[in-house]
Amino acid sequence: MLSIKNLHASIGEKEILRGIDLEVKAGEVHAIMGPNGSGKSTLASVLAGREDYEVTEGSVQFLGKDLLDLAPEARAAEGIFLAFQYPVEIPGVSTTNFLKSAVNEIRKYRGEDPMDAVQFLKMFKEKMAYVNIDQSLLSRALNEGFSGGEKKRNEIFQMAVLDPKLAILDETDSGLDIDALRIVAEGVNKLKSPNNATIVVTHYQRLLDYIVPDYVHVLYKGRIVKSGTKELALELEERGYDWIKSEVDQ
Amino acid sequence: MLSAELSTTLQDIAQTLGLESEQGKALSQFLAKGFPTSKWEEWKYTSLKDFNGIDRNWFPKGKSNMPVSADWAELIIRSSDAHWSIDKASSNDGIEVLSFDDFIQKCPEFQEIWANKNPILDQNSLYDLNVALCPEHIVIWIKKDVEITQAILHQYQVNSSDKATSVQSRLLIYVEEGAKASFIEQQTSTGSADILSNFVQEIFVSKGAQFTYLKDQDFQQGVSHIDHTFIYQAEGSQVDTFTFSLNASLIRNNLHFYIDGSQVVSNLNGLYVPGENQLMDSHTVVDHRMPHAESNELYKGVLMGNATGVFNGKIFVRQDAQKTNAFQSCRNVLASTRATMNTKPQLEIWADDVKCSHGTTTGQLNEEALFYMRSRGISLPAARTLLLLAFVQEVINKVEHPVLRESLTEKIVAKIQQSVDLSN
Repeated sequence: MLSIKNLHASIGEKEILRGIDLEVKAGEVHAIMGPNGSGKSTLASVLAGREDYEVTEGSVQFLGKDLLDLAPEARAAEGIFLAFQYPVEIPGVSTTNFLKSAVNEIRKYRGEDPMDAVQFLKMFKEKMAYVNIDQSLLSRALNEGFSGGEKKRNEIFQMAVLDPKLAILDETDSGLDIDALRIVAEGVNKLKSPNNATIVVTHYQRLLDYIVPDYVHVLYKGRIVKSGTKELALELEERGYDWIKSEVDQ
Repeated sequence: MLSAELSTTLQDIAQTLGLESEQGKALSQFLAKGFPTSKWEEWKYTSLKDFNGIDRNWFPKGKSNMPVSADWAELIIRSSDAHWSIDKASSNDGIEVLSFDDFIQKCPEFQEIWANKNPILDQNSLYDLNVALCPEHIVIWIKKDVEITQAILHQYQVNSSDKATSVQSRLLIYVEEGAKASFIEQQTSTGSADILSNFVQEIFVSKGAQFTYLKDQDFQQGVSHIDHTFIYQAEGSQVDTFTFSLNASLIRNNLHFYIDGSQVVSNLNGLYVPGENQLMDSHTVVDHRMPHAESNELYKGVLMGNATGVFNGKIFVRQDAQKTNAFQSCRNVLASTRATMNTKPQLEIWADDVKCSHGTTTGQLNEEALFYMRSRGISLPAARTLLLLAFVQEVINKVEHPVLRESLTEKIVAKIQQSVDLSN
């Protein structure tokens, strides 16, 4: 589904990703872990198309298309979803209106008819149950004055509505207490299917107790320096990142 | 200063009007000053210097148009190049539309109010020009305790001809004690030649009365509209103004509140959306002269293309006006890198026990928000439109009248959408 080859990316003069290789297949859950500043969030941003980063080398194929060639909105329409570490406040636009625009723009991109109000209502109801989100939150201005937990829950609700093929969760666990973490993880698990894939970007292992990865990769200094199964995450939890750093730095 | 040629023309007109008449005197005063230029402090960004050399048709005749129908209006009046007519008469004897002379005869007690009006007027040369050349001085008189549930609609129209045109229109509204009314004004134009539209409105809102004034300014390119609205408020009255500036080459709105009683509420709302080759200038004055009154001012602007915007908001709190609450906010979005906004809040406070605040901001659309929206599949133009609409909605949503709210939203959406599409 996703094939990243020798990906290099910089912000300004500073090179942050220095040759990433990663293959993700449908049905898989990959965790990207690593110490602070290793390039985890940059990888997520580059995949979603954030324009602050410049890709200097390498390629990213997504379902046979050159992902780097597409605008952020086209990537979304092709099936990529980025759950933000810090969801942005959109004053004056409710979640429902925001999502109606998003869904219908994506349908337009795909050559499908727009959904009407009745269809939306039905779909929203169904998806609300996934993340246990309240209707009142959806009619408020998106993320404005939301608590950390509400923002993340809203991200997962958006993900449920947009039904992506590849979901990238960028530090979704940050700022969440254990109950909120469980609700968010349950939502992600419910949305999992043999046809879609998930990349979980996280610093800590604790999210992986709830979203169990098939593969764990450790990112350090802009490269994947170690890959393994979920046991690797447990080892990192126990031993920290220092042993990997010293292995690499030697 | 006026060009020699224009000066001669206007001097001839002054002679005809009679040099000693009120009109002749006003024209002489105008002749001495000419049109405002950027050297005048209050006209720094809105120079009318070029007007000093343009001869115009100073007495246009007006056009007869098909009357409009609006079932939501109690009374429909029209002014075409300052010539007034009634399209739909009111069934309510509590409202009268009449000439100023007839009004003073029927309502002699107004003379005292009128004689004391001078401090209200921010005298500038355009006011003099208006007094001198307006063909009809019309009064809308809303009598004591009359409650008009449906709105009064005024179709303000200026029309261009082969020659540059000058329209000098003048209206007085007298809202008597305890009365309640909404006044909706649709300002439009026909033709795209050069028109100077100069409109003076003097509004007196008596004790305990409530008055809403909504202006929908949607002219063709070529029109320069100068709007002078003076509002006098007596004790316990409430006035809400809505100024929507949609289109014109140039719009200058002078809005002046004179608060002459306690327990007065004044709400000033404004939204301007100038585009390519358009200048929109809002000059507001809120003059708190008595204690225990409240004013709230909310102005917003979206500036597109190479538009220029100006906001100058003065709040005076006089020494006697203790316990005043006065709030002012002006927020602007530059939706294009070529647009300019000039803001100047001015608070002068002589009383010591007051609550006043003001804030002006001018910025661009939030890049983070745009990326967030795009990452959800919303295209860049759609994302920009959505954010801009959310921004202007705050003002539009304050309009209580559903029909107007809808039509304003529609027109503003279309204008923003067009500009967003052009910039991509």
